[in-house]
Amino acid sequence: MRRGVNVRWPIGGVLVVVYALFPVVWILSLSFKAGDDINNKKFLPTKWTFDNYRTVFDTDLFTAALRNSLGISLIATFLSVAIATLAAYAIARLQFRGKKLILSIALAIAMFPTVALVGPLFDMWRSIGLYDTWIGLIIPYMSFTLPLSIWVLSAFFRQIPWEMEQAAQIDGATPWQAFRKVIVPLAAPGVFTAAILTFFFAWNDFVFGISLTSTNRARPVPAALAFFTGESQFQQPTAAIAAAAVVVTVPVVVLVLLFQKKIVAGLTAGAVKG
Amino acid sequence: MTTINLDSLVKRFADGTTAVDDVTLDIDDGEFMILVGPSGCGKSTLLRMIAGLEDITSGDLRIEGEVVNDKAPRERNLAMVFQNYALYPHLSVFENIAFPLRLQKRFKDEEIRAKVNDAAQTLELTELLERKPSQLSGGQRQRVAMGRAIVREAKAFLFDEPLSNLDAKLRGQMRAEIARLQRRMGITTVYVTHDQVEAMTLGDRVAVLRKGVLQQVATPRELYQQPVNMFVAGFIGSPPMNFVPATIEGEMAELPFASVPLPAELAQGARDRNLLLAGIRPEAFEDAALVDDRDRGSGVTFHATVDVTEWLGNEQFAYVPFDASSEVRQHLRDLARELDSEAMRTQLVVSLDSATEIKEGQDAELWLDPSRMMLFDPATGENLTLARTPVAA
Repeated sequence: MRRGVNVRWPIGGVLVVVYALFPVVWILSLSFKAGDDINNKKFLPTKWTFDNYRTVFDTDLFTAALRNSLGISLIATFLSVAIATLAAYAIARLQFRGKKLILSIALAIAMFPTVALVGPLFDMWRSIGLYDTWIGLIIPYMSFTLPLSIWVLSAFFRQIPWEMEQAAQIDGATPWQAFRKVIVPLAAPGVFTAAILTFFFAWNDFVFGISLTSTNRARPVPAALAFFTGESQFQQPTAAIAAAAVVVTVPVVVLVLLFQKKIVAGLTAGAVKG
Repeated sequence: MTTINLDSLVKRFADGTTAVDDVTLDIDDGEFMILVGPSGCGKSTLLRMIAGLEDITSGDLRIEGEVVNDKAPRERNLAMVFQNYALYPHLSVFENIAFPLRLQKRFKDEEIRAKVNDAAQTLELTELLERKPSQLSGGQRQRVAMGRAIVREAKAFLFDEPLSNLDAKLRGQMRAEIARLQRRMGITTVYVTHDQVEAMTLGDRVAVLRKGVLQQVATPRELYQQPVNMFVAGFIGSPPMNFVPATIEGEMAELPFASVPLPAELAQGARDRNLLLAGIRPEAFEDAALVDDRDRGSGVTFHATVDVTEWLGNEQFAYVPFDASSEVRQHLRDLARELDSEAMRTQLVVSLDSATEIKEGQDAELWLDPSRMMLFDPATGENLTLARTPVAA
């Protein structure tokens, strides 16, 4: 019985990994295929080339989109985490009326289907001039990531014993100093988790990106990929799209690999008292 | 010169419970004041009111004569050691101790280093300065918490059950350490504990609290010898004072196991009461065989069956069960519940010289010093013998 389990686990693991990674490897392989090589009916390219990457980075469409994506995602992440930290602290520490209401509304927002909001937002943004701007994307990204950030962070703050702030206050700290010098550093893993999750949401978003933008001014990468054309009208841009996809996937994969321990710690925090 | 004056302090929580009820207490400069009582008596709340962590419902709190009711904790300049130490886990020991100094922003880096090193030396923490709190043992954490308190020359120290998370041996050592530190620095100290040994050994004066009401403030010796009521008498002393029913018959008090003569002045006052409770400390008894002939006459000798004995080397405890009416049992049960203990059965705990030959299950001849007996009114708990018992200097 024991031996059976020992053998089955690794085999299952390998199967799952292969199943999950196959598309990624396929895109990677595609991105290195030159010209019509994408129709070579083989998994690997017959001749490895960086042409597609060169093409991608030479296209204004892509470089502008990359700039937009980075800028929008970083700003949305920063604002969302900053606001969520303050809000979560208040929720964890203060007694005020309507606390439950705020938490339930936050949860409701998180569950709201994004597609349902795109139409009204499109209309609204058009009339108030936010259409096709960075802010026009930052606002919806923030509103959709705030609830999760608030939940993650308030779980973290709740874990930190009250005595920490009280000790700091006795030691001569103002409430703000106690928050900044003691509480935030202690909640750093939570802040981190919230930041990464927010960044992913903004970075990977397609629906808002394609609906609320129309030009290179604000269009993020996932939306831009849809507008890719080949070098000529008759050429399929598949390889170039694959290369662009690899370029936008890499930062995410690197982030996850670097911080996976922190993310897991962050997501499971509050579940068990440690 | 830091005096702390509590003037009719009241703390009422939002749910209507009164945690601290009209406590008036003057703490002198340099005095080591202990707040003691069973759990839930309001002692910690009172301390946190002094620290500024709890609002004051009514009454005045003065530090150095100035009313500080509405001042934030940091404006009161008091140092506090918490029960769970409340060290900052993300900072090294050095930074933990330096934390209050860094907040003041009037010290240069060298000054801070010198002060922290000084404090570390006092508490023998020098080797641990670079460690994180999680790498320290309980006793070491305790010392770091104290370092954080002494480094900043606060007006007074507040301790909230600082030793209750340590094992018994370490507790004894740290107790001596705290006493030494306080005496050397001569700083006003308020110390909360539920442990009456800590209260007796550390305090210049001890304030006993019961359900938020101050019962008695006195030196440990006075508290032990002249408790104002049954609650204080039962709380102070280990093993605790024995309470036995006493019926007054003329000049004699009839205890379940012996008749004890009453002093004349008390006999007068006690005559019209039929039932009293006699409080006798375990050490007021002795094995009759070991009592000097000189003393024997001044005491009462009686026979009793010893149920269980505990030999501790320096003394021996013997347990003597006795019967009591249901009324007495009820009184004792109520008292025990207030003192956080449990009245399993009515029995005497008797402390005997370790040379005693009394064994379990034997009929033993015991001796009792009646001058060390106290009488309490079972209804009010008041000590009726208070004026009589002399305080040994």
